[in-house]
This record gives sequence, structure tokens and C-alpha cells, in this order.
Amino acid sequence: MSATPLSARPHSPARPLSRRSVLRGGLGALAASAVGGPLLTACGGDDSGGGSGKELSFWNFYGPADDANPQSKWFVDVAEKWNANNDVKVKLRYIPSKDYLNGSTLQTAFQSGKGPDIFLISPGDFLRYYNGGVLQDLSSALPAESKSDYLPGLLEARSVEGKVYGLPMEIEPLAMYYSESAFEKAGLSEADLPKTWDQTLAVAQKLTGDKRNGVMFETLPGYYQNFTWYPFLWQGGGTPIKDGKVAFDSPAAVQALKFWQDTIKNKVAPRKALGDGGGDVLSNLGSGAVAMQQSGIWAVSDMRTKAKNFKYGIIPLPTPDGGKAATDLGGWAFVANAKGANPEAAAKFITWALGSTDAEGVERQRQWNTVVKTNVPPRKSVQTAADAKGAFGEGVLKKFVSEIAPSGQPEPRFPPEVYQPIADAIQACQLNGTDPGKAAADAAARIDTFLKTYQGAPIS
Amino acid sequence: MVTTTAPPSQPAAVTRPRRAKAPASKKRREALAAYAFLAPDVIGLIVFVALPMVLAFGVAFFKVDGFGNYKYVGLANYQLMGSDDQLWAALKVTGTYVITFVPIAFVVSFALAMLVRNHFKGIGWVRSAFFLPNVVSLVVVGLIWQFLLVDKRGAISNLLAPLGLGDVSFLGTPSLALGTYVLISVWFLMGYQMLVFLAGLKDVPKELEDAAEIDGANAWQRFRFVIWPLLRPTSFFVVVNSTIGAVTGLQAFDLVYVLTKGGPARATSTVVLYIYEQAFTFNNMGYAAALTTVVVAMLVLCTGLMFAFTRGGRFDED
Repeated sequence: MSATPLSARPHSPARPLSRRSVLRGGLGALAASAVGGPLLTACGGDDSGGGSGKELSFWNFYGPADDANPQSKWFVDVAEKWNANNDVKVKLRYIPSKDYLNGSTLQTAFQSGKGPDIFLISPGDFLRYYNGGVLQDLSSALPAESKSDYLPGLLEARSVEGKVYGLPMEIEPLAMYYSESAFEKAGLSEADLPKTWDQTLAVAQKLTGDKRNGVMFETLPGYYQNFTWYPFLWQGGGTPIKDGKVAFDSPAAVQALKFWQDTIKNKVAPRKALGDGGGDVLSNLGSGAVAMQQSGIWAVSDMRTKAKNFKYGIIPLPTPDGGKAATDLGGWAFVANAKGANPEAAAKFITWALGSTDAEGVERQRQWNTVVKTNVPPRKSVQTAADAKGAFGEGVLKKFVSEIAPSGQPEPRFPPEVYQPIADAIQACQLNGTDPGKAAADAAARIDTFLKTYQGAPIS
Repeated sequence: MVTTTAPPSQPAAVTRPRRAKAPASKKRREALAAYAFLAPDVIGLIVFVALPMVLAFGVAFFKVDGFGNYKYVGLANYQLMGSDDQLWAALKVTGTYVITFVPIAFVVSFALAMLVRNHFKGIGWVRSAFFLPNVVSLVVVGLIWQFLLVDKRGAISNLLAPLGLGDVSFLGTPSLALGTYVLISVWFLMGYQMLVFLAGLKDVPKELEDAAEIDGANAWQRFRFVIWPLLRPTSFFVVVNSTIGAVTGLQAFDLVYVLTKGGPARATSTVVLYIYEQAFTFNNMGYAAALTTVVVAMLVLCTGLMFAFTRGGRFDED
């Protein structure tokens, strides 16, 4: 759920509960939402999951969309191209992002044994699916030259014991966006752009007015908020888990929690963002509601298409005094369902779609990463091809690639039991004034309890 | 047999047996029609309500990982609840929501019903205006309120700015978020409950009111001793209805999901949201099922108590 593109931010549950037929709808929806759904899907007759050995279902939140936007078109083209040359066809099924990210569509499908053959996955969901035994090993379908084409760390984050279970389609680093006009109006110049946390708070103070907040971090709880907070933890040398043991109760965690708390305490950051929240630069920075906003590289293409004339820049995420630069590298991956109709064919499709090193394969990747969407390409050959077209020659994208991405770490793959205590600590400090030291200790204790009985794949 | 032994005095029955049964047959046709109209709902109830409830009860004894694997764990899911702090926090949130929402919604919608009870010019428009929120999807309701309540720039912040409250973040402050949901939910449900009360008020015989008036009862007395007692079944329905609605999160669930996802700092994490998280975020479907059975049991108990307390809202001498 990390690095969520603007178009893919969650809104609501997949199963809108009945409103008026309260007596029956109430209990029924309750029961159904908990377990009835999954068990009943068998009667529901939605056969688009599973599929036959001759047809692979590919669930995603891009295409085919009604408006046939470029990103949707890219997915459709990939499937058509594959289908033209292969006996086993790929059939796209579009699931609105709110259902895909926060709904129950995938969960109910897998529970009833009718999960898709191919689907998209974020790092935060990796272990849940891997430990559930539904991720197909892609290694045998992945050529060596393709494997070595990926940037270091990316495949490792989607591997267990050397076997690759997901191919990333993009890299999405986080930066701090700022509004040029807000800085000008406050009488500030580029020289005032903050490099440290203290400077951030001071500059944000100057940028805050009756109708504007100086800076913004995500305030909605969820995988995305955790994802955007980790860089501040890493900057101070902290990490939630080290060598399989909890390491969250650290000075680095306490100071990172305190920094986010201070932005709210000093009233320079909003308690609730506009639009879709932290990942939505258009609604917040673009509307003038905030002057600086932490967000990801996907916002560049959002601004390009929807706010062409808005002047903004980016800077690396500010660090604590004496801290090191850090950012979080998000990005979704294609994975195959090991319990699907034809997992080998699904693995072949994935490695062809994202991993092909021939000219056509590189071009396909270049299109996704620098034309229809803005990302850092996950493969060296694609970066070279994109550079040749000047994709990262100037402006914010150049900065993303040359200054920001190199300080990045792949988004951690924490299971829900680790993510939740951290989320609670962030929320409590940021919005409820809880003492950061206590919050970090509480979270560490909960994670520790979980790790003592955890038996799945390594958490990193 | 009937045709051969039929006496000549009943020739109609002989030649047209169908016609002879006409009265019974009409009743039967009507009954059949009624069943036909009821069938979709009844089938729906069985398939989507009764069956899942029974299944949920069964699933509660298993550890279910969300990928089709079941492991029998006996009562472990129930035992887990005792030490689950977040469950208790969620129950507390739900309890607070219910005990504030139900009375406020009751009073507001009853007042509205009394207000629009008598005909006056534009009555239809006024009633529709109050009812309107109820036909809007809760997701849309959430988006509208998000827009109105947004920090610093929302219409409501602007309205409150002269009072020095322009900086208040209704959905971003834990102590305010739940109260905000209560008010939005009341706004959403009041039209529906108003209609229920209006229907109840229609059943209050005008003659009784008139008679009371002739006997010298003032407006308050007419309300207190004529209207109010006769509205007991309606009031009972409204209270049970909105309690169940509030507990199962019919109003709050979608709103919470759209607006705060249980935040800020779990201040709006209701028990239904928690069950949803357990099932679909944590893949603990067995635990979610166990939680569901407990919530249903609590609701049954709650309704039973209310029923016993008010004798189902029946009139005293029935």
C-alpha cells in the first residue's frame, strides 16, 4: 500500500454496508463482512478469478479503465501484445483502487480459492501473501541477464532464500515538494529551503498563515503513513527490526516520532489533509493549502497533467542534526498466484512483461516509468534508455534520480502485526500528544511479543 | 369423482369446477403473489444473512489464514479477546458512539417530525430537504463533510473563525473526531427517522387529540398524555433500529473509512472497523468471526433488555 499513486489512493471499503434495511442489513452485513463474504463467494459465481489453464486473470487497479487513460492503455497494450503471441491468454480485470488497496476483493477471492493468477502487490503485503503460500517462485522464468539488470536490493526485497517472488514495475522515492509562490509570498528564497528538521519547523512557521500550513506529512493511519515515516527513522540510524529482533525502542525512533509531533504541536502542519491525503500533491500543495509537502515521485506526472502552470520544486527530506539522508523507495510489483490455474505461464508472462531485456521490453518499461507515469526505472538498461531520451535531464526528475534516490532503501516488508504497533505509535504521537518515548516502548513491546512466535519468512 | 356424483342442482360445479373454487383460488393466488414478492427478500435473508451468521459461528472455532486454510483451535479465538486491548478500546469507542448518537438522533428526528407534522406551504420541500441526506451514498456524504470540515479552509472552519475557532480540526483531533461523526450520522439518519415518526403520528387518532382539547388539555398535556403514549411502538422501533445501526456501524463505518480510517490515533476505531481490519488487513478471519458472534450476541442481549424494559413498546393494557 506504499507509494500509492494519486489515482490509486483508497477511499472506502469494498462492501458498502446497507443503510436503511437496518435490522436485516445490519447483522447480515456484519456477518458477511467478517466471514460470510469469503465463504459465500463460492456461490457468487464470479469466475474471473482462477480461470482456466488457457486464460490467466490479471487483477490490477489501472486498466482497462473507462476513460482509457495512458496508464490504463499501457496495461491493455501489454496484455494484447502478449495475447497475440501466446496460447495462454491474459485477461485484465480492473478493480477500482479503493477496493484493491483497502477493500476485501482480493482477500475474499483468495480465501475462497479463486484468487487471480496475476496481481499487483506492495511491499507491505508481501509477507502476508508469501506466508499464505500463494506466491509463485518466478526464478526459473527469470533470465540471468534480466536478474542482473535490476538495481541492487530491489529483487532481494521481493525474495525469500534467493528465490524471486515478485518483479517490481517501478521505484517511487519520497521527497519534500515546495510551492515557489508560497515561498515568495512569505519573503523566502531558495536559500531558506530547509535541510534539517529544526530548519523545517522554523521555515514552516514563516509559511504558515490563516489559510495555509507551512508543511504537511500524512496524517491518515495506514501502510502509506508508515511508509512515509520510515525515512525519518532511518535518518537517525534507527530501524524497527534488526536481525530478527525488535529494535524499535531507540533514540532514533523517539526523535522521529517527536519531529512529526512537533509539526502538529507548533501548528505548522494540518491534522487532516485535503483530498486523498499525503500522496495527493494536487489537492494540498497545488491548492495552496500547504507550502511544503512530503510526497513521492508519482506526483510529478500528476502535476504535469493536471496543474501544468503550478510552480514547484523538490528537496531531499530534511534530516536531524548529524543525521544521514534517507528516503523510502516504494513501488508495486507483479506477482503470480502459486495456487492459480497455470502458475508457470503466469510467471512467464510477468518476466516477459517487466523483465525482457530486448529492445521492445526495455521500451515497454521506459514507457511506464517515464512516459505514462513518473518513476525511477528499476532496471539499469531502462534507466539508460530513459536518459538517452532526456527523461531525467533536468528539473525535479533529475533531482529525484541524482540526489534523492541514491539515499533510498526499499520499503520494508512488514507484516500487519509489525506495521500496526508502529502505526499506532506514529498516530498517538502525531495527533494525540503521546510521549514519544512511551509510544516507542509500547510499540516495541507489542512487536517483541509477535516476533517471539512468528514463524514465517524473514522480516526486513 | 366429483363430476360423476355431483347432483344436478350443481351443474356449474360439474362443468366448470375451477369457477366453483373461485373464492378460495383468489385467496390462494393472492398468497402466491405475496410469496413471490417476498421470495427475493427471504432468499436474500437466508443466503446473505442467516447462513453467514451460522457459518460465522462455526468459523469462529478455526484459525483461518485468508488463503483457504482452516485449523481447528477450539475456543482460542474467544480467549484471545480478554487480552486484546485494542478490542476493548474499540468497544469503548462504539459504546460512546451509541450512547451519544441514539438519544440525539431520537430527539432531533422526533422534533423534526413534530415540526413538519402539520401541513403548511412548502411542506413537501421541507420534508424532502430533511430526508435528502439519507438517499446520498455514505461515501459521498463523507467526501462532502471532508470538504466542509477541512483544516483552516473548510466552510465550517470559516464560519467558526470569528469565534476564534478557525484553527479547530474536527476530524484531526482525537477528542473531537467521534463527536463529529455523531453529528454527521444524526444529520444523515434524521430524515429517515423523521419519516418513521411521521408514520407513527399519523396513527394517532385525531379524535383523541380533539377530545383532549375539548376537555381542556393544553398543547403540552395533549402531547404528554395522548400523542406520546400512542407513539410507544414507534419510539421502540426507532431506538432499537438506531442502536443496532450504531453498533454495527451502518452510519459510522463508511464515514470512518472515507474520512479517518479509524484515526486520529484510533479515536474512531469502532468495533466493526476493528472486525473488518482483523478480517481483511490482518487475515485473521477466524478471530473476526468470533468477534462478530460476540457483537451479535451483545446486540441480541441489548435488544432483549430494551424489549423487556418497554414490553416491546406495546401499550400498557394489551
